[in-house]
Amino acid sequence: ASDVSVLWLPLPRSLLTCRTAEPLEYHRSFLKENCRPDGRELTEFRTTTLNIGSISTADGSALVKLGNTTIICGIKAELANPTVEAPGKGYIVPNVDLPPLCSSRFRPGPPGEEAQAASQFIADVIESSEVIKTEDLSIDRGKLCWVLYCDLMCLDYDGNILDACVIALLAALKNTRLPEVTINKETSAPEVNLEKRWELQIHKHLVSASFCIFDDSILISDPTAEEETLSTAHLTVVTDEDDRLCSVHKPGGTSLSGERLQECISRATTRQREIQKLIAKVAHSVKKAQ
Amino acid sequence: MTNSPCPHPDNKPFSGQPEKEKTWGGKRFRAGPVAWVIYFNMPTDTKRVRGPEVSQSPSLFSCDPAAVLPSKGPRADGRRRDQVDVRPVFVRCGLVSQAKGSAYLEAGNTKLMCCVYGPRETDRKDETDMKCGRLTTDMRFAPFSCPERGSWIQGSQDKDFSLMLHESLQPAICLHKYPRSQIEVSVMVLENSGSVLAHAVTCASLALADAGIEMYDLVLGCSMRQDGTSYVVDPSYMEENGCSSVSCENQGGLTVAFLPSLNQISGLQSDGDMTEETLTAGVRTCIEGCYKLYPVIQRALTKAVRKAAPSQSES
Amino acid sequence: MARVQVSEAEKVYILHGIRDDLRVDGRGCEDYRHMEIETDVVSNTDGSAKVTLGHTAVLVGVKAEIGKPRPTVPTEGYLEFFVDCSANATPEFEGRGGEELGTELSNTLYKVFNNKRSIDLKSLCICAGEHCWVLYVDVLLLQCDGNLYDAISVAIKAALFNTKIPKVHISSDDEGGKEIELSDDPYDCMRLNVENVPCIVTLCKVGHRHVVDATLQEKACSVASLIISVTHKGTITCMRKVGGGSLDPESIFEMTEAGKRVGKALHAPLMKLLEQEESLGKKRQKVYTCFPGLPLVSPQPPREESGAK
Repeated sequence: ASDVSVLWLPLPRSLLTCRTAEPLEYHRSFLKENCRPDGRELTEFRTTTLNIGSISTADGSALVKLGNTTIICGIKAELANPTVEAPGKGYIVPNVDLPPLCSSRFRPGPPGEEAQAASQFIADVIESSEVIKTEDLSIDRGKLCWVLYCDLMCLDYDGNILDACVIALLAALKNTRLPEVTINKETSAPEVNLEKRWELQIHKHLVSASFCIFDDSILISDPTAEEETLSTAHLTVVTDEDDRLCSVHKPGGTSLSGERLQECISRATTRQREIQKLIAKVAHSVKKAQ
Repeated sequence: MTNSPCPHPDNKPFSGQPEKEKTWGGKRFRAGPVAWVIYFNMPTDTKRVRGPEVSQSPSLFSCDPAAVLPSKGPRADGRRRDQVDVRPVFVRCGLVSQAKGSAYLEAGNTKLMCCVYGPRETDRKDETDMKCGRLTTDMRFAPFSCPERGSWIQGSQDKDFSLMLHESLQPAICLHKYPRSQIEVSVMVLENSGSVLAHAVTCASLALADAGIEMYDLVLGCSMRQDGTSYVVDPSYMEENGCSSVSCENQGGLTVAFLPSLNQISGLQSDGDMTEETLTAGVRTCIEGCYKLYPVIQRALTKAVRKAAPSQSES
Repeated sequence: MARVQVSEAEKVYILHGIRDDLRVDGRGCEDYRHMEIETDVVSNTDGSAKVTLGHTAVLVGVKAEIGKPRPTVPTEGYLEFFVDCSANATPEFEGRGGEELGTELSNTLYKVFNNKRSIDLKSLCICAGEHCWVLYVDVLLLQCDGNLYDAISVAIKAALFNTKIPKVHISSDDEGGKEIELSDDPYDCMRLNVENVPCIVTLCKVGHRHVVDATLQEKACSVASLIISVTHKGTITCMRKVGGGSLDPESIFEMTEAGKRVGKALHAPLMKLLEQEESLGKKRQKVYTCFPGLPLVSPQPPREESGAK
């Protein structure tokens, strides 16, 4: 938390006044030396920790910490009628919430621009890449299907929520167990067996990697909230386990050369491997514990 | 969709022609075979990704009937009945980097988080009190926190909880030390496994202390549920909402917010149907429950202070 | 809520008076102001009542509509409360000002009725899992002069007493569908048993004592109040602390005891009065009443006294 009282700490006065009064200069002085205020290298991601299945009221859940940034994802499954256009498909409804709790920049009330944009980004990524085939969610063609409400909530907002959201969503989907449903032949009413549950099949392991461009030239990965506000452009690259590109999201900002983009993509593919390994490891240990 | 009491949206306060006349009067109303429950009063929401218009919780179609809670013997989680047997509490301060103060509390499966922002300049300029600060509270349930999925939109139940939280915390805060500013407390319930309000009060007072807001005392919360002649302290979600087999005599819930070193009750809420004697005994039980919580909370706070102190003197 | 400015000297005066069991308007600590009850005041509701308590005036209308039972309790109907804070009541309710108070009041009412005994919800069921009566209880605040809770609860009880729900007839046809027929006869109706409907007593802690039915001036001198809803048997369906202050456990116990005593005494005369008014039928004169232990300090002296004592 940035606070005026920081000024009174017994630290080199020049450096600290600089951070609150001239944050951009402060960051530049670090970037010149190829490092960042929190000690990271330019392309280094923050420590990522993962906790799977900690919310027992959800059908699947995961908590992700990316440095300070914390995202929790809870998945609730409900029954609904499929649409007429797609009778053999279920629904996935992802929503990102940035409550006033996670940062002083958010006010209570309906979701703001950033939350709406994040929700849309996650929805697009899921829809285009088919992490889960919505056909898998069909129970009775044209009559009954599952709706997966994937609610992502930010608990601590310190930049790069998109990456954290994608990890949390993937891990929570991996953790999701849906109850078995049979259709009663006589009454044609569904019967749910809450004890018997099945696992969702994840078809693609998507991982996103976000970058920021500083002063139109310096590329940094996994920006903090402070870095995000000071940078001139944002870029998010989503890749899958076959190193294929699923989504590149660059909403405006300064331009980027093809080479730099290639750099980002290759960084994203290594990141994908790291995260997939992490999720597999944690999911395995959770299963073992059960 | 939810069972939370919310005013019916088309509930016009008795003006004009009664709806009933138009729809039913004289005419025959035909009801078809069991239709899917259309029980959905949510206003259309364009700011979120929307799903199907109607969806239902699978638990409504569960083949095994809902278990009837026993009113005798040990409780489902092994705690004792008729004893001040609170769940062990895990608390941690200062987890949220962005907040002035924060606390996370876990009691059994009940998990909640509280952040405190401020004191900062008030939003409401018109109501600025020159002498006194303002406290705002916001309590919300994550949609996945309850057995039935909740809505993103804050229901009237959440508002009621926010109000109770406000009333419980306000007497403990030295608001006169923060003139013309506001202190924001927001609580997020991540998992609801009963006694949410009581734990929210405890968690919020801890977060306020972590934020360095001047207070007269900590505020601790405890709740109990009476069921006939027996009672349970710190009830779980099942114990709070499950129907018991016994008759409706002397049943109800009680939540108390207590300032332990001043011996004052700052928040009190009960529902159900109880005799005065039961209620009086219940308040005493809850106070006892609060005292059981006190050392744990004190320890968490000293730990947080210790953690903060050396880092400041070193750097 | 409407706020009044009370000077320090006035506060001391009120505090000292209450210490000696003498309030500014001459009442004792556990006395109500003059209360007037009138039922069946709004013709297009199924039941209505208007209650004035001092200058506080509330109007309650009950509308019964056919709805779907809640999935968790398929064999019961339910009540919905809505409190409308009219801008006429106090200028502070203009715009969205009354909304917060409205939610607070309606939430408390849900708690007050959150038990199996206040209203027999099973009698509101028409067809299990499919149709039930939903009682929409609309409260309109006409004027605020303190002690809203008590006035509202009495008005709700009176309005529910007055409520007439048309009888329904269910018949099933060959295809298994059901038909619901409403009785056209206005006298062929169902009445609610309101015996167990609780009344709310608000106790205001002023100094070391507590007062019932506090005026706005007295409320300004107090830091916290206790709302207690009491049934005719003396059981408590809801208790709640309101206001910015805290209370000593011992004084809470004292206030609970007093609240129970006062609340219990409220029911019998109220029921008697409601039955009396009912028996007068359509051509009735307006019936007024006042509650026991009350010196007559009403703004308009009652035109007709009923034997409420």
